[in-house]
Amino acid sequence: MAKLVVLQPTKQPPISLLSSSLSHFNGTKLCQIQYKRKVCQPKGALHVAASSTKKILIMGGTRFIGVFLSRLLVKEGHQVTLFTRGKAPVTQQLPGESDSDYSDFKSKILHLKGDRQDFEFVKSSLSAEGFDVVYDINGREAVEVEPILDALPNLEQFIYCSSAGVYLKSDILPHCEVDAVDPKSRHKGKLNTESLLEKSGVNWTSLRPVYIYGPLNYNPVEEWFFHRLKAGRPIPIPNSGVQITQLGHVKDLATAFVRVLGNEKASKQVFNISGEKYVTFDGLAKACAKAGGFPEPEIVHYNPKEFDFGKKKAFPFRDQHFFASVEKAKHVLGLKPEFDLVEGLTDSYNLDFGRGTYRKEADFSTDDMILNKTFALQS
Amino acid sequence: MAALASSSSSSLLFTSPPSKLPSPSLYPLPRFSLPTSSFLSSSLSISPSSLSYPTASRRHSASSFTVRAAAAGKKKVLIVNTNSGGHAVIGFYFAKQLLGSGHEVTILTVGDEGSDKMKKPPFNRFSEITSAGGKTVWGDPADVGTVVAGATFDVVLDNNGKDLDSVRPVVDWAKSSGVKQFLFISSAGIYKPTDQPPHVEGDVVKADAGHVGVEKYIAEVFSSWAIFRPQYMIGSGNNKDCEEWFFDRIVRNRPVPIPGSGMQLTNIAHVRDVSSMLTLAVEKPEAASSNIFNCVSDRAVTLDGMARLCAEAAGLPVEIVHYDPKAIGIDAKKAFPFRNMHFYAEPRAAKDILGWEGTTNLPEDLKERFEEYVKIGRDTKPMKFEIDDKILEALKVAVAV
Repeated sequence: MAKLVVLQPTKQPPISLLSSSLSHFNGTKLCQIQYKRKVCQPKGALHVAASSTKKILIMGGTRFIGVFLSRLLVKEGHQVTLFTRGKAPVTQQLPGESDSDYSDFKSKILHLKGDRQDFEFVKSSLSAEGFDVVYDINGREAVEVEPILDALPNLEQFIYCSSAGVYLKSDILPHCEVDAVDPKSRHKGKLNTESLLEKSGVNWTSLRPVYIYGPLNYNPVEEWFFHRLKAGRPIPIPNSGVQITQLGHVKDLATAFVRVLGNEKASKQVFNISGEKYVTFDGLAKACAKAGGFPEPEIVHYNPKEFDFGKKKAFPFRDQHFFASVEKAKHVLGLKPEFDLVEGLTDSYNLDFGRGTYRKEADFSTDDMILNKTFALQS
Repeated sequence: MAALASSSSSSLLFTSPPSKLPSPSLYPLPRFSLPTSSFLSSSLSISPSSLSYPTASRRHSASSFTVRAAAAGKKKVLIVNTNSGGHAVIGFYFAKQLLGSGHEVTILTVGDEGSDKMKKPPFNRFSEITSAGGKTVWGDPADVGTVVAGATFDVVLDNNGKDLDSVRPVVDWAKSSGVKQFLFISSAGIYKPTDQPPHVEGDVVKADAGHVGVEKYIAEVFSSWAIFRPQYMIGSGNNKDCEEWFFDRIVRNRPVPIPGSGMQLTNIAHVRDVSSMLTLAVEKPEAASSNIFNCVSDRAVTLDGMARLCAEAAGLPVEIVHYDPKAIGIDAKKAFPFRNMHFYAEPRAAKDILGWEGTTNLPEDLKERFEEYVKIGRDTKPMKFEIDDKILEALKVAVAV
């Protein structure tokens, strides 16, 4: 697992874009689907989850999704506990978050220190505390979830962060919730967990994000492009560049997690959660440039088979089409993502990379291999 | 670059009056005495709470269409249909579905009943329309009023024109003769190419596309209108090759040359899905009104994927060969039946607003298509593959003799 890196303190003064960004994570934004004349609102879709206060446990919650999700839940008035090893600070002030908001959050969030791989401890500590709802946003294997279910026989809802990576690769797209899954995929642990939840009889909900992005992303998705754009370097993209992927903003994912809380329509259901539009690899490079105010990038295509990159990843995305339909969440839950791609990347840039913060240092070694070969051939 | 899925049929519009006016016998006395004024249709718009969700069982089965139609009120529908190209089959399915649901249908095909074009599907199967109680007439859409001998309709679908010149006369006549709802088959080809697929309703379209002018005009003239933007279709009775292009090569053990990477996404719908969307619009006119609908299936397929699916349907292997058309001096439009780019729209408005559900299942549908392909003997028909050979020669690919 990657080391958690403490965020750099912000050096730049807040910029005017912040006020809009702040409003995005202060409280759940209720989105309506509007068409020319007809508003399509499935009954109950705009029902704000849980009129009653819940005692909520989040497995994880100090890194990325949980950072935003926990704030929304606390704002809704729930009692929220984060279960972490305590390696990273339980709370950190977010870029753009006011001091008063942060101290309010900090005063209310609770911490249960432990290692979730210690199943006995998980069972005993959770059983002792008792929780109404569990959000499992860092679980990878079914065995990790068993002690939680054992500890909480009266659990009202188990909400799981799964992954669209469970879908079986297909020529027919987008991936929809009803489609075949791949029991051999790298994410089979997520699949096994979903099966366990199904068999256990608990009231479960599973969300399957695609690629998540946004401020504090520890997976170098947008960061990978920003490093190169900032350095004025060409962007090396494997093969044709028309491969289609899909990004979902972390704040929209957090909103989705809140939307399913106490929601009957989410009971024992799987939902894909991501952006409404997909994007080609080439298109993503251009969108990142736009978001950061960089000029249109030079894109260099290459055949990855002609290189041996060793253990290094030359490109942060799977070299294939990979995108999922979010129509089910739209129709069943009334969920409409707030951020489009450029808006979301701009939010990420302004609150994170653009302030000089990032998780991984730039590593252009694979780029140089590609560019040296490409330009050698051209000369 | 406005190459559309269907071949151009506008050049085939006859400017001289049709040689045969429909005889009175084509308009027998109505069999039903139901009042023709629109009633109940507004009260029958399906309320949002009953919208089907993707995981729910299919609610829009054929039988429920019939029930809804009877309650919504029988409509008199005129289909102005192109006489060739990829869209021709739409009118055929739509007519049959409407008739099956209890509506009255007249299909006006452009041109002459006796023309050679009428020997091809779906026109050579029009007896299926007449035996179901539909009327078939031929003529020039510019004289539509005359061609239909003064009959009046509740709904008109123009499945013919690609520009204002060819559709305006139909729109004007429809308005003046009291048609209440005007439907138009446009094209998803008018969307501006994007690197953020899919094309969704409301996205920017190419300002100079002929269909755009038509869409605007219809919206100005009618208060109850709906626009449908299809892509490619498969289905028995198709006037234009689609899957056949792949079958032709696969059964003859020839490589399948696909331009570019083969990763380009396209949308191929069974025409029954197109028809069901149109039928929903007829039966829910208030919901449909003033909306644009991408008239496509709810899944995309890659070009390579289509080749693979056709091969699987045929139970045969396939060898895909990629090429760069520019590099070898090939016009991809002539060499390959689909656009050499991502061309991918999603039917979001239809799902949101009409509660439409797609049923296209390419693996299953292609099996059926292949059965027919063999049944008509096309698998053994002698064929030339001149452009293919040119491509393969340029790539130095061997062809099985």
